[in-house]
Amino acid sequence: MTTTTSSRRSTPSLFAWQLKDIMLLVVLGAVFGFLYWALVQGWIALSVATGPFGDLTQHVLLGGWLLVAPIAIAIIRRPFAGVIAEIIASVIEVVFLGSAVGPLLFVAAAIQGVGSELPFALTRYRRYNWFVYALSGALGAGLVFFFSAFRSGWYGTDLLLVRLVIQVVSGIVLGGLLAKVIVDALARTGVVDNFAIGRAHLGS
Amino acid sequence: MSGAETVRDSPLARRNPTVKLAVLFLASVALLFVLDPVTPSVVYLLGLIGVIVGGRLPLRTVLAAQLPFLAFAVGVFSINVLSRPGTVVWQEGPLRVTVDGLIVGAALAVRTLAIGILSIGFVLTTDSLALMTSLHQNAHLGARPSYALMAGYRLLQQLPGEWTAIRDAQAVRAPLRRNGSVHRTPASFGRAAFTLLVLAIRRGERMAQSLESRGLGLQPRTVWNPVRVGSLDVVFGASIVAGLGVVIGIAGLLGVLRGPGALF
Repeated sequence: MTTTTSSRRSTPSLFAWQLKDIMLLVVLGAVFGFLYWALVQGWIALSVATGPFGDLTQHVLLGGWLLVAPIAIAIIRRPFAGVIAEIIASVIEVVFLGSAVGPLLFVAAAIQGVGSELPFALTRYRRYNWFVYALSGALGAGLVFFFSAFRSGWYGTDLLLVRLVIQVVSGIVLGGLLAKVIVDALARTGVVDNFAIGRAHLGS
Repeated sequence: MSGAETVRDSPLARRNPTVKLAVLFLASVALLFVLDPVTPSVVYLLGLIGVIVGGRLPLRTVLAAQLPFLAFAVGVFSINVLSRPGTVVWQEGPLRVTVDGLIVGAALAVRTLAIGILSIGFVLTTDSLALMTSLHQNAHLGARPSYALMAGYRLLQQLPGEWTAIRDAQAVRAPLRRNGSVHRTPASFGRAAFTLLVLAIRRGERMAQSLESRGLGLQPRTVWNPVRVGSLDVVFGASIVAGLGVVIGIAGLLGVLRGPGALF
């Protein structure tokens, strides 16, 4: 059984991942998987408490599901960091924590990751201002909406547009702007000094 | 935290984890395009029997594990019943129930339960470390991502303990109410979550250093307790996929099968 493990010193490019970068994605996935799992308990309680409209009130929290991608990208600053972080978080939710969505969450997570990562990719992983974060949250929520709408049968029901608007706004606030708040706070604590974000701060 | 316990031996537990995961994913995607209540009900019943017999699991455990899926199914059902236009069967003020809503809602709810029982069958019969080894060997996931995931899995098991420790530390310093109980605010929840994040990132960096210092990434490497894809695994995977195909095919012949067109 031979496995291909590329030596990390041979290709010093944007795609050369170090073990600590991979580890950071896994750790973010584990922590957010755990926090999401805690959040889901509140989520179910909220939907039971508000009865048939629980489904709508849940949309308000949707942006929280997007957080892990922009945080991973801002710290590691490599292509696909956001997509991979989302997928790892979904694997942890489904395989280890038993998410109620099942393995379709892998697909949803990949779509979310692509949406969240696109704005950062367009700046070639160089700009990390409020606007890029907000755009990331909006796109992450906007792209996955069409998949969720198909999966949960929102097409052909009333309130389809209302759902889209609530989810995109939630994506901007909880999945975009909140990510910048968290990333800046993490940078101030110094735990991410050894990653790309720390080098960028030292350089400036 | 269903993945934390040890898995008891059963025919389902002996199958290759990567094959099981692939079959589960394939079945979920196939069910995504089925929008009538009957077909997923059949899949659910077959899945329930298969999981209980093949996984040697007590009925109670399986039913208890389904509770989150049930809550999710009820939510999906009620929103479709109440907000889908169509032939009205009941109306009261702004609330109305339609025939189309009942059918599509039931289809989506049963699909959630069907995917749920298959997921439960996977989670309850799969050892997490065997899954990681299998993904590394059979799905050719690189050594570094595989071992990072394994370390992450260990971290995940420790997180509830860390969480309790952080909350306890906060409680010691928190202001007390008049009756002596601890006054917790939503902000303290956020602070605890951030502390957990910082702690985990720091530990992750240390784990990465210790994995590298033990030679992870060097070649060639050997594997402890190798996981193989046997002929039984191939038969298992093929028969599950074929069985699903037969169920959907019969449903199509009997005319009960409906596709995504039912949504619009």
